[in-house]
Amino acid sequence: MSASTEQAPLTPPIAVKPPSPSPNRYKRLTAGTVSANGLLIVLGAAFLVPLLWLVFASFDKTATASLRLPNLSLIHYKHELTGTNLKPFWNSFYIAAVSTIVTTVVALFAGYALSRRHIPFKRTFMLVVLFMSGLPVTILLVPTYQLFVRFNWLDSKFYTSLFIAATSLPFAIWLIKNFIDQVPIELEEAAQIDGAGNFTTMTRVVVPLALPGIIATSMITFIGAWGAFVIPLVLDSNPADTPGSIAIYQFLTANGQVNFGDLAAYSILFAIPVIAIYLLVSRKLSGAFTFAGGIKT
Amino acid sequence: MSAVRFEGVSKLFGPVIAVNELTLDIADGEFLVLVGPSGCGKTTSLRMLAGFERPTYGTVYIDGEPVNTKMPKDRDLAMVFQSYALYPHMTVLKNLSFGLKVRREKRDSIRSQVDDVAKMLDIDMLLERRPSELSGGQRQRVALGRALLRRPKAFLMDEPLSNLDAALRVQMRAEIKRLHERFGITTVYVTHDQIEAMTMGSRIALMNDGLLQQCAAPEEIYDRPANLFSASFIGSPTMSMAPGRLCSEDGVPAIEWLGTRTQVSGEHAAALKRLERESELTIGVRAEDLRWVDDAPASHAVRLSATVDVVEPLGSETLVVAHVADRPLTARFPPRSGVGSGDKVELALHPAHLHLFDARTEQNVLSVGSDQAHTSTPTDNEAALASERS
Repeated sequence: MSASTEQAPLTPPIAVKPPSPSPNRYKRLTAGTVSANGLLIVLGAAFLVPLLWLVFASFDKTATASLRLPNLSLIHYKHELTGTNLKPFWNSFYIAAVSTIVTTVVALFAGYALSRRHIPFKRTFMLVVLFMSGLPVTILLVPTYQLFVRFNWLDSKFYTSLFIAATSLPFAIWLIKNFIDQVPIELEEAAQIDGAGNFTTMTRVVVPLALPGIIATSMITFIGAWGAFVIPLVLDSNPADTPGSIAIYQFLTANGQVNFGDLAAYSILFAIPVIAIYLLVSRKLSGAFTFAGGIKT
Repeated sequence: MSAVRFEGVSKLFGPVIAVNELTLDIADGEFLVLVGPSGCGKTTSLRMLAGFERPTYGTVYIDGEPVNTKMPKDRDLAMVFQSYALYPHMTVLKNLSFGLKVRREKRDSIRSQVDDVAKMLDIDMLLERRPSELSGGQRQRVALGRALLRRPKAFLMDEPLSNLDAALRVQMRAEIKRLHERFGITTVYVTHDQIEAMTMGSRIALMNDGLLQQCAAPEEIYDRPANLFSASFIGSPTMSMAPGRLCSEDGVPAIEWLGTRTQVSGEHAAALKRLERESELTIGVRAEDLRWVDDAPASHAVRLSATVDVVEPLGSETLVVAHVADRPLTARFPPRSGVGSGDKVELALHPAHLHLFDARTEQNVLSVGSDQAHTSTPTDNEAALASERS
């Protein structure tokens, strides 16, 4: 016997509206909501106020360390976008691009092998890779510096980029391996029986299908390398190779006094590529590429 | 077009024997169906032929050439996967032409070949679509087309119809059979569905637990199952089984079963004479051989008294599960016979229609001592088919 028939006699003949959720529900002020929202406002301000200062100061001809309405001017941006100040942007781009390409290509092949091939102690190896991706780079710097001295690689943008690539590799391998795991193995088998060798199968089937993951991985690598600070600081002291991250640092210390307007404008310009990439990645990944139709699940 | 041969092929996955000493000849142009329950080793056998798995022991030959160490791409086979395995990032056109492209055929010739096959399979208006925009049946056709385009040495099909709905399955079954007849390409077809096996195969290789049970033409497996497994796997409804014992009546071999004695004659009698006295037997009878007395021909001399348990009217006939001495037997009744559950009925059968198995070895008594009953050679079979066609 169902509950409704049992309860039927108890229900009044006239339909009574069930208590609808009170419209005041979200307006009610209690000590809890007040303190929670207050805390959130304080936290939000802690993040937003410095950002606001950054934007204001970058447009302020006479910027100082304090937050105030700007004395509008584009002089700082003009300053940063001319002459020698552009060079660090190029250096950052060079370092980020080289390390992204190296990392992505190596991680692709490593991730493929780890995903598809039978390798002894694969699980252990993957855990080691995961552990290494969390390793702070500062631990490696002293021995790496000695290595670079030994091979005469110091003060070279290229070798510095290679080391950055090496440090970002573990995480990239881990990511790409997991993306390749998602590609159904039957598709590779179909390609093989169609007459494709390992390399063709990889380039024509696996890479296109894992592409969203590969792009995401390379963008994450790019962002990391773009902001790399400690590694170029230690391994490449050639002033001509200074990347943007170190250039910002130099604004703070040069001549003992800080040009806040230039610093702010530079910071904003330096952040733009990263923000743009974030937007691109989030759009690309939310456009969820699927394997629909390829295989029946 | 090529002949395929498995010679003593075994595949071990760790301690598990997936395929056990498989020896099987597939003739050039033959349609061989590998059938068996899940986990019987049929798919593993196919994958060894495709080159995705390497045999642990034994050798696979294509055209007399051992291929154990050959890469799949060098075997010149085509395969239709259960999941279709269409490339989701390519249009139908690119899916179809991929195999020809990686073999570096000329662009113009690829296009015309694709158009021909697409027209033949009725998918020529879908060429610009992606697999995700196709229905299950259309995907199946594209997968078939991709295999056909290659004109391979052999087609491998791994349960290609199991993801389709029933009506489409029947339609595609006929279509695949027609394509085989048209092109005559050696086909190895894996399925767990015994109806597909019966309707499509020129020969059926029945596997269980990694062992080849019987390999013969569909009618032969149906009429002369080599062992209990073959008997119960092939045929719908399943063959009814009852235990029995060999005994003699005035020198004539007879069986004691279901509380009665039945004299046997002909080849059964000769086969039973080779067995020990009082041997335990398992006796099988197909539903169409077990008739209602009112409906049975005069030759069905053996009578069994039964109590009807379940009545399943199928329209053209009625299947009746009836208990004889507490054993359920399935009998075929005429439509609208009017019997109901609990009724007492007389069943009739002809002793020559019985299938007798040694209960200990589970082998058909007819095949004991004569190995040739176990398999027919493909050449015999092909010759028979050829004479049938002419």
